[in-house]
Amino acid sequence: MPRVISNETYGCPPIRALTFDSLGLIKVTEARGKERGTPIVVNTWGEPNASRCVLAASMDDRLSNPLLAVARKDGNVEVRNPCNGDLHFAYSVFGDDGSPPEDDDEISGLHLFRKQKDDHTERSCTLLTFMKKGDVSLRTVQFPDARDDSTDDAAPPKSWKACASGELLVGKVDGTENFGLFGGKRVEVNIWDLEQCTKIWSAKSPPKDNLGIFTPTWFTCAAFMSNDDHRKFVTGTKSHQVRLYDVSAQRRPVLSFDFHETAITAITEDPDGHTIYVGNASADLASFDIRTGKLLGNFLGKCSGSIRSVVRHPQHQVIASCGLDRYLRVYDVKTRQLISAVFLKQHLTGLVFDSGFSGEEIAVANTEVDAETEETMEQEGDEEENEDETEEEAPVKKKKSKKEKRSREKVSEGEEIDEVRSKKKTRDHKKKTKKVKHIQQD
Amino acid sequence: MGFKRKKGDGEGEEMESEVRGRPSFNTAERRNVILPSMIKNKDKRAKVYAKQKHEKKVEKQKKIKARDAAEKQALELGEEPPQKMVPKTIENTREADETVCRPDDEELFADIDADEFNPVLRREVTPKVLITTCRFNSTRGPAFISELQSVIPNSDYRKRGTYDLKKIVEYAKKKDYTSLIVVHTNRREPDALLIIGLPNGPTAHFKLSNLVLRKDIKNHGNPTSHEPELVLNNFTTRLGNRVGRFFQSLFPQEPNFRGRRVVTFHNQRDFIFFRHHRYIFDVKEDKQSGAKGKDAVAKQRVKPRLQECGPSFTLKLVTLQHGTFDTKGGEFEWVHKPEMDTSRRRFFL
Repeated sequence: MPRVISNETYGCPPIRALTFDSLGLIKVTEARGKERGTPIVVNTWGEPNASRCVLAASMDDRLSNPLLAVARKDGNVEVRNPCNGDLHFAYSVFGDDGSPPEDDDEISGLHLFRKQKDDHTERSCTLLTFMKKGDVSLRTVQFPDARDDSTDDAAPPKSWKACASGELLVGKVDGTENFGLFGGKRVEVNIWDLEQCTKIWSAKSPPKDNLGIFTPTWFTCAAFMSNDDHRKFVTGTKSHQVRLYDVSAQRRPVLSFDFHETAITAITEDPDGHTIYVGNASADLASFDIRTGKLLGNFLGKCSGSIRSVVRHPQHQVIASCGLDRYLRVYDVKTRQLISAVFLKQHLTGLVFDSGFSGEEIAVANTEVDAETEETMEQEGDEEENEDETEEEAPVKKKKSKKEKRSREKVSEGEEIDEVRSKKKTRDHKKKTKKVKHIQQD
Repeated sequence: MGFKRKKGDGEGEEMESEVRGRPSFNTAERRNVILPSMIKNKDKRAKVYAKQKHEKKVEKQKKIKARDAAEKQALELGEEPPQKMVPKTIENTREADETVCRPDDEELFADIDADEFNPVLRREVTPKVLITTCRFNSTRGPAFISELQSVIPNSDYRKRGTYDLKKIVEYAKKKDYTSLIVVHTNRREPDALLIIGLPNGPTAHFKLSNLVLRKDIKNHGNPTSHEPELVLNNFTTRLGNRVGRFFQSLFPQEPNFRGRRVVTFHNQRDFIFFRHHRYIFDVKEDKQSGAKGKDAVAKQRVKPRLQECGPSFTLKLVTLQHGTFDTKGGEFEWVHKPEMDTSRRRFFL
């Protein structure tokens, strides 16, 4: 069990984070308890396999039926249940044969849409994936249903090419999910309207500086500044510059400043709309005020590897970062202190927060799982997703006989800890077949 | 006022606590103790201090004698001797590092299988090394390089010229080299070593110090061209493991034991000591000398003897970069930051 280092003054607020690493493992780290415990790794999903290295991930952590989408190096995109790691659906972006057309092309990112388009809400989800060579594809997938055997998609995937030459490395979808932003190596940042699949805005690079040097465009990360406004966003470049663009103002960056001397690898915004967190390749993590461009402070946490991903928890005042030094670090936002660091053994490539987690101490509830879904990439017809029960009661203690066999999981302890909500926020977890929510324990 | 905290024995502690100026509990004793530094007269002061030192020395000798006597007595009586005290060293009291590789860690093995050195270490590819220097060469540089060439089998040296390092990396990739070593000199002395794994392997930047060339070693041996054995000591953490495997990938994986040649990378306190020896096993007759003179049984003992050959230097890891050499755009797996040096007992390799 990997051990953690924790700061004694602060405890960690209850959080749950899922980290993705270069061997394709998904690890779940939780900090439970009202009394601010330390985060520990509770689960590991997946077998270590370098060709299944996770390149991008996106989570929709709504209360009912949360979904997690994971894009891997071998071209497979999987949609899983983040509560227990079960695979809902998987497909390959390289087509049905599963082999990449040219070498080198791989998924650069993906986004899982939160809003539902169709009426069969529980069984479908929309995914936006974009590849390094520039193909962007927007696809609605339906989960296979036990009842009907047809497994066709609702609509053929919409796809377009976002860049002609160069590599597409950055893609983000804004809060309203109507607009998408793409950029990369030798690709200027573009904003596309996702409904009509048209480019509505593209940036212009800043003019040559007074020495006549023109730095080639190379965007490495981006973030929209606020959830309802698609017009302002920040980007980080390979030449250690952070740029703020405003679509409604001008095509050149409105504000740009330098941050240390190595490439910026991760950037994320704060919900208050004017703070950003920037991480770079030599392990510096800092927060800036984007209205003025001033550095608010550095996060000193003895991080020694390039920061691959920074996320801010939507409710709690914590920020988490993961990177090539194999640690997941959790910091407090206000004081910029390290709350704790968890050693996760592999190079970490991505991180998402599960914000629907309340972390209450409840009795251990074992879910009863009907096992058969072994790790195959085909669509299994066993899962019934549309049982949409909502529990209004207080946390119900369930104890069933454990019949385990989770697909592709190495459950580190023997038990499955299920989060059950209190009255206010209810969330049900997709359990396979038998729903035993009302069975009180013996 | 300033006084050095003396690591005294138990008896001296009482004196010390008074001397420290704390509110003393025993004023009578306080009056008796006079620090040598409080005496203004140099002559007298020197005498008092010398006397104090002598007293301490005598005390220590008495303790050692008593300890030895107790042990001897216990042995004679057949009892167990009192336990030997183990001194605390920095290595003993090293901070527990959670990144230490454990033998039961499956993810570690999977990671090792997937890393960049695996083809070489699995003998699928034979290592081929290209050595070059920085742009301005120096006095000791060429000698060091020729020695490195003799240490590492299958290595080539090319003059640097004025090529960009990135271009050199591409050239090496084209010619199927597995690693590139750049010796960097500063002030006419080799100063840093940059080892780049190819085709897309990590780049390690080491600080080189304390270089001793072969001609400066007394009774040095001459290395042969057999493949050397490798000894990698003390690379325990994940980072250390990676660096250790990096070194391993420079050498061919079939050591020729008959050649009796060994190259050692010994890691201690984050410094990596490089040594190159030839060894030979001697069979010695050991006549048991002692009280029982009549039945002197000649025992045969095998003793190894070492002869140092080749350069010896120390390395310290400065940064480890994830891809090939790229200062501006590269990602660092490990970079040393001053904020990491908070404890004297914390090491990373």
